[in-house]
Amino acid sequence: MSTLNRTTLFPALAALLIPAAIGMVFFYAPLERTMGSVQKIFYFHLPLAFSAFLSFTVACIAGIMYLRKRQRIWDARLAASIEIGVVFTTLVLITGSLWGKPIWNTYWTWDPRLTTSLILWFIFASCLILRSAIDEEGKRATFSAVMAIIGFIDVPIVFLSARLWRSIHPTVIRTDSIGLESSMIVTLLVSMTAMLIFWVGLYKFRVALHLQEAKVNDLQTDGIR
Amino acid sequence: MSSLRQVRFLLGKDLRIELRKKESLVSMAFFGTLILVMLNIANGIGRQVDAETGAGILWVAIIFSSVLGLGRVFAREKENGCVAALLLSPVTAGEIYLAKTLVNFTLMLLAELVLVPVFYVLFGAQLNAAPLTLLPILLLVNLGFSTTGTLVSAISAGTRRNEVLLPILLFPLILPLTALAVKATSGALAAKPLTALLDQLEPMAAFCVVFTAAGYLLFPFAIRED
Repeated sequence: MSTLNRTTLFPALAALLIPAAIGMVFFYAPLERTMGSVQKIFYFHLPLAFSAFLSFTVACIAGIMYLRKRQRIWDARLAASIEIGVVFTTLVLITGSLWGKPIWNTYWTWDPRLTTSLILWFIFASCLILRSAIDEEGKRATFSAVMAIIGFIDVPIVFLSARLWRSIHPTVIRTDSIGLESSMIVTLLVSMTAMLIFWVGLYKFRVALHLQEAKVNDLQTDGIR
Repeated sequence: MSSLRQVRFLLGKDLRIELRKKESLVSMAFFGTLILVMLNIANGIGRQVDAETGAGILWVAIIFSSVLGLGRVFAREKENGCVAALLLSPVTAGEIYLAKTLVNFTLMLLAELVLVPVFYVLFGAQLNAAPLTLLPILLLVNLGFSTTGTLVSAISAGTRRNEVLLPILLFPLILPLTALAVKATSGALAAKPLTALLDQLEPMAAFCVVFTAAGYLLFPFAIRED
């Protein structure tokens, strides 16, 4: 099929896999003994959190690459990953709060992981505000690259300093074992794959969009000259 | 050695301007005092605060007032195109960064000489006066705030919305430092010895080291006008 080119391949795959993952979450994965159906949000929460963290890692790498190479493509990658990262972190915070209310009896607590996600959200949302405040392309790219890098450096410090408080977040995946039923692991893997493919699809769309925007901008300024 | 001399020269230049105009320092001390008075009223007149609330109040006043001084550090250079002149002069961008960090560090320290006594006058009735335990906390926050803030203010001064963007970009980054400082300060105000506060002081020092290095490396990109 000629319409199924490289840009639409990942969204098409995600359109198949995400409904499949939802189906598995509700009909294949067993009901958790103490938490019941509330636990099912975990199959979206963890992949979302993982993809959000992936976006900020990509943003940091793209920032470093932009400062080294000064190529427009790296700025497009940086912008795309920050945008997706902010959206995904928002969803992580929402899904986490929805789970926390029945299980922890509170929507919010100052747990290291919660604190880290919230501060990450603040840092990278401020990056988006910064981008909207600058019109010159080169300056916008340089400044947001610097912010993306120091924002990423801040993450381990935030996590370590928040650990000095207390933690009630469940550690499901440890280094020695996974505290899950095997059918739960399969469901988790499927939804993780679906989410990552969805992430790649979104990312490719946004990168292409940013590049096109820059090209249109070039044409407009050339026209004025 | 000559690098040290250049930093000292730049620092002297900025401090001399500040000494003659006194614009940053006066507004920092005034605004900080204003915040302290407002929080005192908000707390309920005549009501005492405990160590934890007191620590929070002190740091809100210091951090918010310091942003005023920080915003001026580069805005002043941008106004007359002095950044270009600074970059043309035989100093490296890293030296400019260190000098500006020290300027801001000094301004914060001078403003705190006013704010901490005012804080004790307004809130200190039940708090332990522990200036010697408070000092290392103040110095570490000043350093961390200045290293991060100098980098961020170079960025925000390059945009058209300097005053709005500076706190938006800076506060999320220094949130861990502020949280640790509040915890350490509440310990100091509750008359804990300095050794009991090492759990907070060590990560604060780590924050300063990490952001001094990051700022030194990234500052050349933030200051260059292209």
